[in-house]
Amino acid sequence: MMRFLSASTRMLVCGVTLCVFATPTFAADEYDYDLVHSSVSFKARHLDISWIHGRFNDVAGKFSIDREDPSKSTFSLTIKTDSVDTANEARDKHLRQPDYFDTKQYPTIEFKSTSTKKIKGGYEVTGDFTMHGTTHSITIVLMGGKEHTFKDVKRVAFSTELALKRSDYGFDKNAIGPIGDEALIMIDCEGVRK
Amino acid sequence: MPDPLLYWKAMGIATAASAVVVLAILSLRRSASEVWCNAACVIGIGSGLAIGNAVLDLNLSWPPRNGLDRLLMIVIPAVLGIEFMAGFSRVPRVAAWLLRISLSLATPRILLHGSVYLSTTADDTASRAWITMVVSGLGLTLVWGLLSWLAKRSGGLSIAFALCLAIQCSGVAVMLGGYIKGGAAAIPFVATLMGASLALRAVTTYTPNRVKIDHADNHVAEGIVGVGVVSLFSLLFIGRFFGEISTGPAITMLLAPLLCWTTELPLLRNRKPWLVASLRLVMVAIPLLFVLIAAKQKFDREMSPLLAIVVTTGFAHEKRAHRNRR
Repeated sequence: MMRFLSASTRMLVCGVTLCVFATPTFAADEYDYDLVHSSVSFKARHLDISWIHGRFNDVAGKFSIDREDPSKSTFSLTIKTDSVDTANEARDKHLRQPDYFDTKQYPTIEFKSTSTKKIKGGYEVTGDFTMHGTTHSITIVLMGGKEHTFKDVKRVAFSTELALKRSDYGFDKNAIGPIGDEALIMIDCEGVRK
Repeated sequence: MPDPLLYWKAMGIATAASAVVVLAILSLRRSASEVWCNAACVIGIGSGLAIGNAVLDLNLSWPPRNGLDRLLMIVIPAVLGIEFMAGFSRVPRVAAWLLRISLSLATPRILLHGSVYLSTTADDTASRAWITMVVSGLGLTLVWGLLSWLAKRSGGLSIAFALCLAIQCSGVAVMLGGYIKGGAAAIPFVATLMGASLALRAVTTYTPNRVKIDHADNHVAEGIVGVGVVSLFSLLFIGRFFGEISTGPAITMLLAPLLCWTTELPLLRNRKPWLVASLRLVMVAIPLLFVLIAAKQKFDREMSPLLAIVVTTGFAHEKRAHRNRR
């Protein structure tokens, strides 16, 4: 009897210990970037009179969202520059060359968060943005964060817009002219829980 | 966007700078030896390239960020250094050639550094990249060796001009492929090689007693051939791996200067110098012309719609057809 009690007590202690230590790991939900329901698009001025629109078709990312302590939430995004698509194959080829994205030298554009702050309607995320081999710290406002469970898969979505100057990222200034220096990047992403 | 006025300006300034430096150095001595002539050409080319690239404003950065940066800031200073040293009679020819071969084999690796070709983890892709680099390096060694041999054997300003022709055509082809800055980088090379060659020729022709070289009227400095071949190879390599040049045209343009060897055929060898020079340039120009025509056609087909004013869409076609039916 005593042996049975001692064994069951030990199991109980182990179970409680496991629960106590396991709880914090479940506080943050981890999501993978859902390529099907997301888009990373951009637009840049043409001749300072109109806008050229394009998108990147190959993107990957991860979000870890901690509802209890939002400062522990992390966001990362990797864009394959080779997947640039402006609905014109010749222009896409041109954009892949060293005068523009130089995709053979710089195959990815990356964002990795370094700090996160909860704001009304979303998060203010500061992180390292690397494009064309140059890294700058930027702050983006991710609006959204609403969760939805569809067919047993939990999803969360965010959207943001940011303006960047190509000249800040080492793009050839001689190639800035007909196509403006500033580019607007629009990110609408949905994450699926792992 | 290409800026023809800037290109002409860079070409003129680089040509003048390299020629003035060569003339200034050669004027320092009463009689210049082969070593002195070679050193003058190497320093002249180096100075001209620095000034020409500064005028072109190629947005270079240190540490080098891309293939073109590595070409202009690592490969070219290395070849200038090797050719400067190799000119000295105390340096054994074997040592000079070992340095040249080492640079030839290292150049593809230097140009591809940090690119997707070397960062891949797939075994077959990595081994293919290494095979490509070794074969390219051997190709460069072969072209360099054969042209240097020809320069020693029969000389002639036409070898330098043939290299200039090939470099200029490769620059235009790279530009037509859409890599504007890569193509523009050819201009200072052509300008400085021309400037240094013409200055050396002017000295050997008009003041022959100032130069102590056998067959001085037909002399072409080793440094000119070295810088010319390495710059031609590197521009094509960058155009092929970072731009849109295909392998066939790139190899054709690299090998084109070797057609200067045709004048070594028994029937042509002892012809008048001007005839030999013209024949060499014509022989080199023929394949380059074909490559340029093909590059222009590809440009008209693929790139010019980006610059063209009107691109007809399917909808426009439908409207036109509807109008015709009425």
